[in-house]
Amino acid sequence: MRVQCELCPKNCVIDPGQSGECRVRVNIGGTLTTVVYGYPCSINVDPVEKKPVAHFLPGTGILSIATVGCNLHCRNCQNWEISQANPEEMPALFYSREKLYWSPQDLVNIAKRANCPSLAYTYTDPIVYYEYTYDTAKLAREAGLRNVLVTAGYINPEPWKRLLEFVDVARIDLKAMTEEFYREVCSATLQPVLNALVLAKASGALVEVTNLVIPTLNDKPEEIRELVRWIKANLGGETPLHFSRFFPRHKMLNLPPTSLETLDLARRIAMEEGLQYVYIGNIASKEGQNTYCPKCKALLIERSGYTILQNNLKNGTCPKCGNEIYGVWK
Amino acid sequence: MKRRKFIHRLLAAGAVILTGAARQANKVMPRRFTWAAKYHKYPGGFRAPDDIFGQGKWSG
Repeated sequence: MRVQCELCPKNCVIDPGQSGECRVRVNIGGTLTTVVYGYPCSINVDPVEKKPVAHFLPGTGILSIATVGCNLHCRNCQNWEISQANPEEMPALFYSREKLYWSPQDLVNIAKRANCPSLAYTYTDPIVYYEYTYDTAKLAREAGLRNVLVTAGYINPEPWKRLLEFVDVARIDLKAMTEEFYREVCSATLQPVLNALVLAKASGALVEVTNLVIPTLNDKPEEIRELVRWIKANLGGETPLHFSRFFPRHKMLNLPPTSLETLDLARRIAMEEGLQYVYIGNIASKEGQNTYCPKCKALLIERSGYTILQNNLKNGTCPKCGNEIYGVWK
Repeated sequence: MKRRKFIHRLLAAGAVILTGAARQANKVMPRRFTWAAKYHKYPGGFRAPDDIFGQGKWSG
């Protein structure tokens, strides 16, 4: 019997023995089954700045996990070796030679052992290992740890709302503001991502948005202005926005890396339009890495790459003018 | 054929048609899921983790 996976907007109808587009949700005997639960392909302690997340526990480590698979097929994917792999092709990490499986409790224990106050579900897309993400996030929350989701936000509203109960930070990609871009570059659609962003904000999670700026595809000033205006109108001017530098990868090798000038221009447009915290990533940028007070312009957090050079925040407020800064600071 | 017998046959035929239609629909209409069941057998191979307390090589 065929099954339909209603986790993401693809709503794949799957024949027996076959998988959905994500490659990891399989019809086994007429039941939708996840074949990656407990089998991560990557576990590492990263700086939280690498996600990128700028308004959440700066300078801390974050236990970051992923399984193979993704429900999008971005032509420019930086992690395509794991996101576009079948589980048959990509080995999972074993916990030990006697015990191959990593339970949610194992992940929580490792995060604690590594002194990480949070876990990130990242690298591929945590939507496709939804059940593993959900169970681990729930357990982590019970253990006093925080949860950061790094995702394209391509998920149906009901499962998204259920997961958001345990999400502290939703770091969501908004890849462009056109259906054409999502269709041609990512094999997806725009509207569900916009819905996911609004739902994440409404849930009370800290929302940070990333936009990968790709030369000629989504770097026109008017497109950037449209994206920024949408963020301000729907998520609020306090929403941190990261413009990331594109590098030619996977199936998009014909375009050059994004120039610093283009990223600087994007940042200027975003600030002109009233976004308070705008960052530039994947490239050295003096001002584009730092956090400034939107009220008095004082330097609050100085960064160099993933390193915090100084953090002047006092209990989440500006030490000069006392302005409360959006974020989770302790 | 008496009227009562005719009605019985008509009902029986209707039931057969409905049963067939329901079976066919069951084949065509997929079972719907959001939450997937666990499968405790990874279809691929395994390898030892690298230094999990160090930074990962993947983006994000």
